[in-house]
Amino acid sequence: MHHHSSLNLVANDKDIKTPYYQPQGNEIALFEHAFQHQLPVLIKGPTGCGKSRFISFMAQRLGLALHTVACHDDLTAPDLVGRHLIAQQQTQWQDGPLTRAVREGGICYLDEVVEARKDTTVVIHPLTDDRRIMPIDRTGETLHAPDNFMLVVSYNPGYQNLLKGLKPSTRQRFICLTFDYLPAAAETQVVMQESDIDITTAEQLVSLANALRKLKDQDIEEGASTRLLVYTATLIKSGFDPVAACRAGMIEPLSDDADTLTGLMQLVHAVFDS
Amino acid sequence: MEERVGQYWHRFITRAAHNSFPKAKLELQQVKAPLGVFFRAMGGDAGLTISSCSATSHGARRSWLHRLAGTGQKVELAWRDERCLYLPHSLDVLPSQALNQDLYYWLAALATSGSLPADDWLQASQQATIKTLGAFPGLTGRYEQLVAAMLPMRPSLKSLSEAEKYQEKTIRQALCDPGSVTAGTFFDSTISPAPVYLWLHPSPPLATADLSTNEDSTVGLDEAKKIAQADERRRRGERVEMPDDKPGAPFGVRHETSLFTFAEYVKLDRSAEEDEDLSDAEKIADELDQMSLSQSQTSTTSRIKFDLDLPSAAADDLVLSEGIRYPEWDYSKQQLQADYCQLLPMLSRDAVACDLPEHLRKPCTILKRQFQQLAAFPRWHKGQFEGDRLDIEAYVDYWASLQQGQQPAEARLFSQKYPAARDLATLLLADLSLSTDAWINDEQQVIDVIRDSLYVFAESLKAAGDEFAIHGFSSCKPSHVRMHCIKNFSEVYNANIRGRIAAIKPGFYTRMGAAIRHASVLLGRQTEEKKLLLIITDGKPNDLDRYEGRYGIEDTRMAIVEARKQGLVPFCITIDSRANQYLPYLFGRQGYSWISSARQLPQKLPQLYLMLTQRLGQ
Ligand SMILES: Nc1ncnc2c1ncn2[C@@H]1O[C@H](COP(=O)(O)OP(=O)(O)OP(=O)(O)O)[C@@H](O)[C@H]1O
Ligand SMILES: [Mg+2]
Repeated sequence: MHHHSSLNLVANDKDIKTPYYQPQGNEIALFEHAFQHQLPVLIKGPTGCGKSRFISFMAQRLGLALHTVACHDDLTAPDLVGRHLIAQQQTQWQDGPLTRAVREGGICYLDEVVEARKDTTVVIHPLTDDRRIMPIDRTGETLHAPDNFMLVVSYNPGYQNLLKGLKPSTRQRFICLTFDYLPAAAETQVVMQESDIDITTAEQLVSLANALRKLKDQDIEEGASTRLLVYTATLIKSGFDPVAACRAGMIEPLSDDADTLTGLMQLVHAVFDS
Repeated sequence: MEERVGQYWHRFITRAAHNSFPKAKLELQQVKAPLGVFFRAMGGDAGLTISSCSATSHGARRSWLHRLAGTGQKVELAWRDERCLYLPHSLDVLPSQALNQDLYYWLAALATSGSLPADDWLQASQQATIKTLGAFPGLTGRYEQLVAAMLPMRPSLKSLSEAEKYQEKTIRQALCDPGSVTAGTFFDSTISPAPVYLWLHPSPPLATADLSTNEDSTVGLDEAKKIAQADERRRRGERVEMPDDKPGAPFGVRHETSLFTFAEYVKLDRSAEEDEDLSDAEKIADELDQMSLSQSQTSTTSRIKFDLDLPSAAADDLVLSEGIRYPEWDYSKQQLQADYCQLLPMLSRDAVACDLPEHLRKPCTILKRQFQQLAAFPRWHKGQFEGDRLDIEAYVDYWASLQQGQQPAEARLFSQKYPAARDLATLLLADLSLSTDAWINDEQQVIDVIRDSLYVFAESLKAAGDEFAIHGFSSCKPSHVRMHCIKNFSEVYNANIRGRIAAIKPGFYTRMGAAIRHASVLLGRQTEEKKLLLIITDGKPNDLDRYEGRYGIEDTRMAIVEARKQGLVPFCITIDSRANQYLPYLFGRQGYSWISSARQLPQKLPQLYLMLTQRLGQ
């Protein structure tokens, strides 16, 4: 494994609240530069590869508040910006999470942004060019983002999302960080750290996961994520049979096709049988 | 009567002699699908298909019962080449189904360790075993069980000559303790050992002159299917070279002079009686060491040759522009070969404007109604000046600004349902290669259902108001990739376009990569937000040159990857019953649809389009 200066920074960090994060490459430095120059960031990567973990790590590291919005297909602009609520006798404006972040400063993280409705781009665009403004039509206000405001969006370029896609005009407003699953040694570290499992089991799980990832798009839609690895390791650590834990934690979540599941369980046996 | 008795005797003997456990028999077919997943997950090449292999001679000393029965000298062993992983058609060598199943999985695992160097089979097999067990230690237990079950099946040492005994002992040692038999162990090359089912084939039949041109021939579907199935059990007769047949080659076949060769045997047999059915004939062919081309194949071949002479420029369709160059992917070099293909945009010369064929009118009326609704697919639009519903959110906002003494801009307080435009363009790319000349039933050829599908598709999309283009392709070597324009995006679907659909005809081969690259360029120019590339085909990519098997598959895959990168959404609709062997690799599991009965293509195509575009989130 290669060493990054950022790795040392993690180790030296005295703040115990900083979540554990195993870097993939130069993403920490890149993110810091982007923050200093007020550039928005787009994070691409498969599910469960550490995107959210990275953001919370960076928020801690930079001492910023983190406002996370999990996007879904019913999420509209008012869900981000805010809306009027009916109170006793009168109406009351309530800020949405994006507005709150713009007012208070900090990182606003729009997770799985492709899922959101198209009208959200109207809000995102003025915030992500050099104007850095947020007009709120409903209240007639225009907010100017403070220096410590940063917009981060993420999406999984998996091919079911290619159908939805991000418009080039949106995509080209962001500095892009591409994540993938960690190299085996680093991922083993993560699994051990997160689940307290022994190194042998962690290595077996990681090699199993890497075998599964080769099947992406052909036999299964997505490979096993680091998240699933951590779950499975947690089951094994608490005393569950490894083969059964793999079935529940790493195999069944990947497919519903009986033949595929049979083949994958044979693989699990090939890794775990004694 | 005498003949009858002879047959019974043969059957009895065969059963008695066959070293097998019929009750424990497992067909490859039963485990093929999960086995494929397993093989790929173990690191096996995802481009390979799993195929059953034909029996090859092993040449070892057979028991007297075997000699009497004339069977048992052929065994099915596993091997792999560039395109396929070959596994025994069925396994019954071990006493339980579970063990035979374990054996299948073991062979698949072993085959992931790469192909064997041919010169030292014993070393290579031990190394492959060690490597496989090292990578997947969980297999150790099962390997040991398999060896334990296999040893009692090995020939008894007592029955062997000294040299044979030595060899047999060495093999057993290598099985029990892989790696313990060192290189250079002397083997008498004239002795073939009893087959080792746990190892890969010592000298697999070499890559063959490909017979899969059959797929593109003019034979009827049924016949084509049979040929294809027979082709699957690749016969040694197809081989270009058979080095292991040379007497004296290591582990080669020793010709048993005391017996008829199988070829002779079969010849005798066939002169005695007419072959009763095809399955018999196939069995016979399977047993033949050297198979000559059958009558039908000969005629097929000559017909292909005949059809492949390119028509003279005057007789051929109009070439619309100078050839356009496209690159092609060479997987063995892992690089694009720039300007490798020349694509010719063409227009049918004999197209005559026409109406929709009679038999399609009624179904199209129904479809059109359905698709018109799609065009008129109503959605609630908020913030309207008037409408059927109050837009609560807008209303509350409005009320709030009034209360705060502001003058709200506009009173857009209603929701109204009205049709939403679909921001979508589709290019339909149809395979017009010669294989579409095949007959589906007494009335229809594949090309006929493709033609009907194009009509139905065009009628539907026109009704929906969606943007679309239709192109057809075929090829004859890289210099001649034919791209027939049926409808451009800019053209309106009308009687002229119908005339072009009517004029499509089958010809030549299927160089899919270049066609997809060109279609991607055309579709990429469209300004719609979503772009769907629909491909209709009836078989694998192929062409006269090396665009065949793996090479063609890999190039097509690369063209699809490029299309995706460009933001297009490729989707394939196929009627090839073997599509699941290669289309997942090309398009991904969700990226294609197989239509089992070609006749259904015209109905299914519009349905699929609906399904896909709904998935597009329109
Ligand atoms: N680089 C890493 N360092 C530390 N932990 C990691 C790392 N990558 C993955 N993990 C572990 O994997 C889990 C899932 O990661 P995370 O939630 O960040 O995924 P994600 O990329 O945001 O996934 P999704 O796209 O599904 O939201 C984390 O909770 C953590 O346990
Ligand atoms: Mg996340």
